[in-house]
Amino acid sequence: MSILERNPQIVWRNEKRREAQVLQKLEEGGDADEHGTVILLISGMMHQLNLLGGRIWNLCDGSRQQEQIVDALLAEFDVEREELATDVDEFIQDLTKRGWLSYV
Amino acid sequence: MSDAITEQFSAPLTFNWTLSYRCNFTCSHCYSRDEVAEELPTEQIKQVVDVLAKQQVPFINFGGGEPLIRKDLLEVTRYASDQGLNVSMNSNGWLLDHATAQQLKNAGFKSVGISIDSAEGASHDDFRNMNGSFERATAALDALHAVGVKTTMSSVISRINFRDFRSLLDLARKHKVTQVYLHNFKCSGRGFKNREDLDLTPEEWRDFYVEALQVKNETDDLLISFDDPVIASLPGYAENPLVKGSSCGKLSLHLRPNGDITPCGFIPLVVGNILSDDFEDLWYNSPVLNGMRNKEAKGKCQGCGAYQDCLGGCTARAFATTGDLSEPDPHCWK
Repeated sequence: MSILERNPQIVWRNEKRREAQVLQKLEEGGDADEHGTVILLISGMMHQLNLLGGRIWNLCDGSRQQEQIVDALLAEFDVEREELATDVDEFIQDLTKRGWLSYV
Repeated sequence: MSDAITEQFSAPLTFNWTLSYRCNFTCSHCYSRDEVAEELPTEQIKQVVDVLAKQQVPFINFGGGEPLIRKDLLEVTRYASDQGLNVSMNSNGWLLDHATAQQLKNAGFKSVGISIDSAEGASHDDFRNMNGSFERATAALDALHAVGVKTTMSSVISRINFRDFRSLLDLARKHKVTQVYLHNFKCSGRGFKNREDLDLTPEEWRDFYVEALQVKNETDDLLISFDDPVIASLPGYAENPLVKGSSCGKLSLHLRPNGDITPCGFIPLVVGNILSDDFEDLWYNSPVLNGMRNKEAKGKCQGCGAYQDCLGGCTARAFATTGDLSEPDPHCWK
């Protein structure tokens, strides 16, 4: 019940060049929260996920529980676990409500 | 060169792929009937699929020519589907019986579009130069629906159908179609030669779109789509497309049977070859693609208040009639 999985009907893609630009911006001390690195195509509409959202989305591959996703992200994001866990939970709750993620 | 499109998209979302220009029909408006190109063998087609999968192109749509002419269509589709690509195609339906429909489903087709240009059988048959084609096309829709393949219907709007497009929508409903594409007429190939007989005047296009958009907004049992950027110049047009102007070269590209890439099937400008050139270099640096993404208003587009929304309308039509990608769309009524 607690493994997270993407809705298989959703077409999506990592935008590699955009991601590289975001990472560079972050490295330079900038803010890149508003820049999408993953695009989702849903009912003819395009939605974008920022770097953290995109990373969570990629990790929701049907093999990890939420806590394991937080663990995986801690290695990349320099942030307190509690703060990261809150952000991850908020994101996952939002996307599960939309039907884009589900627990299996 | 960096621009808004390539900054956002690392590859197109759709490749419209002409596997073959061969066709069992000789339609009056066909853009490709007089085209000739060497066809790739199956193994090289699979190499193309590998490139598309690597670039994470989510959609491929086989067109033509008639895709079912290729004997390896099912094998190629299975190969692409297994790599996560969403495969669809457009067919005239002639070769698509119940058994074929089941094979298409098994191969992984997400949807199949059937071209029907009139709800009147005789009119469709005449336009398609093939007796019995209407019956076969509607039977194909039924066969696909019966096996559980999502169907779409493609209708090229021209003089033969623009006044009674509602009957096309009713036909789609009757055959359980989920989406109808009312395609704008392109002046390419035979469409160019026959445009005097088939194309509407700019004012007729305006009136058609005003009416069709109203019908679309009042319709909730059928998806109705247009692919004509010139619509954006209508007052009050409120749709929010992913990109403004033509989507060709921005959201989609076209593959010719030999692997050459063109911005769309209606613009015969080869930007490179998918097997022999570096795709990312073409995508980011092709002067043709960048020219399409950064058009400059010319002629009556200069100073037009709608230009920021329509970006000059259909680039293919402008190129076909003037040889210049940035000239105004000849369908423009402003």
